[in-house]
Amino acid sequence: MALSTLVKKYMKLIKKQIPLAIVFIFGVLTLASYYVPHKISVNYIEMMNKWENIVAAFAFLLGLFSLFFSHYHKISRKVDGWGYSIFVFVGFLAMVIPAFMSEGKQSTPAGATLLGWAFRYIYNALSATMFAVLAFYIVSTAYRSFRIKSLQAFVLFVAAFLLILGKVPLGQIIWDSVLGWTGAGVDQVIEWVMSVPAVAGKRGIMIGISIGAIVTSFKIIFGIERQYMGKD
Amino acid sequence: MLKWNVRPADTPDVTYQIYVSSMETGGWIKADEFAADARTGKDIDLPFWAWEVSAKEHAVKVELSNFYGSAQSTGALFHFKVTAVKDNNSYDSQVVSAKTVSNWFRLDRVNNLVLLIVIIIIFFWAVSHAKRKGLFIRRIAGLDAIDEAIGRATEMGKPIYYVPGIGGMSSISTIASAFILGEVSKKVAQYDSQIKVPHYDPIVMTVCKEVVKQAFLEAGRPDSYREDINQFISQDQFSYAASVDGMISREKPAAVFFMGYFMAESLLMAEVGATSGAIQIAGTDVESQLPFFFTACDYTLIGEELYAAGAYLSKEPMLLSALKVQDFGKLLVMVSVFFGIILVAIGAKLHWDPFVEGILNLFKAY
Repeated sequence: MALSTLVKKYMKLIKKQIPLAIVFIFGVLTLASYYVPHKISVNYIEMMNKWENIVAAFAFLLGLFSLFFSHYHKISRKVDGWGYSIFVFVGFLAMVIPAFMSEGKQSTPAGATLLGWAFRYIYNALSATMFAVLAFYIVSTAYRSFRIKSLQAFVLFVAAFLLILGKVPLGQIIWDSVLGWTGAGVDQVIEWVMSVPAVAGKRGIMIGISIGAIVTSFKIIFGIERQYMGKD
Repeated sequence: MLKWNVRPADTPDVTYQIYVSSMETGGWIKADEFAADARTGKDIDLPFWAWEVSAKEHAVKVELSNFYGSAQSTGALFHFKVTAVKDNNSYDSQVVSAKTVSNWFRLDRVNNLVLLIVIIIIFFWAVSHAKRKGLFIRRIAGLDAIDEAIGRATEMGKPIYYVPGIGGMSSISTIASAFILGEVSKKVAQYDSQIKVPHYDPIVMTVCKEVVKQAFLEAGRPDSYREDINQFISQDQFSYAASVDGMISREKPAAVFFMGYFMAESLLMAEVGATSGAIQIAGTDVESQLPFFFTACDYTLIGEELYAAGAYLSKEPMLLSALKVQDFGKLLVMVSVFFGIILVAIGAKLHWDPFVEGILNLFKAY
């Protein structure tokens, strides 16, 4: 009985108290470093950044193994869409083999290496394609938001419509012919929308976010928020 | 900081050159150059409690680390001289030597420290208050819809996708996302539904694995937990988006959660989710991505609501009390802005420039 109590206490120390103490000490030290410009403080922050990079490097390997195992299982079990998993390995080899062959260099005085070629004609091309798709999604999402379902959607529609109107010459002509008598140009209206209501809304959100971030940090530093460690 | 008195001969046609050296003789490096009628104590951007503003003195800050590196510029002896140049004639000052010493405190950040202490006091007051009696928390529609989304997924027999974004573990929104994932996973385990969490960052994946595992354990369903719930996808933004898009298109999930830090990929993923017919709940603190989520998702948590979500869902009094601190913080900002506007307006109207400057100093970050 006494032994089990001792083991429980030991486990609590290992699983709860020590991690919480580490979080508290390093949280307070990092917070204090904002106010302390001393060399010790600067060195401490540099050391923490190095540690973060080291942990990230090992974690990346972990992620890579997780990815490969997951897709290997999909292929070996022939689950739905297993063919796509082959492309994970194909894509990986398509970049890694040229990287080894070119000793990690993208270009030499003689010109682009195989890695440079793969980077330019495979990786960059695919990334650019994906980014370009965004334009089509913006159109479809704009269409959805222009279906006015609520007052907020109406406000969004009016602001977006004004911006579109002001950015195209045809819109400016329409504005001048219909609302030219008001004396206010569409560009002035846009400038007001962008610099008054838009900035006010943005700042409101930013203030809320900043205070929320401070409070969340306190919750973690002082051990109030400990969901990441599980319950007691 | 080098300081010397302003002289009557300091006219615009005179130029001051600041030289620094780490050697006993020679080795001078020109650190700065300016017209003699410029750069007085008034030009130093420091608050009134950290710096005595004076137009009677020249004041020049020499950044030694720019010339000697940060490692060598601390604790070493340096020599300085000022050269006045007029009509191609130069006049050197005496050489002044000084040993650099690191400061232990940034006096200019006292205002920030005071605010921090006030928030800490409110924080602990709210936490102790929470233990005594309950707190009223307003309803957040996006979080109330989580049950509906998970219930829908269970009825349809389709998976739920939880996308934690492209932030690292040092991002507050990613930390908040991990807390929400814990609560969502617990409900998923209770309903015996399926959840999939594609990851951009391997460290986030490692943390989320523990969070999900713990959630399944707490729900009494450790047998339902699978290692492949959390899956690393890619640490490239668009590869990640393409892969998540592909999975959503093929599997047609019943619900998709986007919680965390997002950039351009937000719309790429949210639009595909909307097209697939899933209930979508998003939350981010990146204000530039909020409009995309507003238009493509059914519910969107704005910034601070994302931080509050973990506490809201867990309903733990201690965590809920922290939400009160956020409200007090906002109240503090509102009161400060209100009185700040009035005081600055009065000061400007009456031409009390030092008073206005002092008020502005109080609210400035250094």
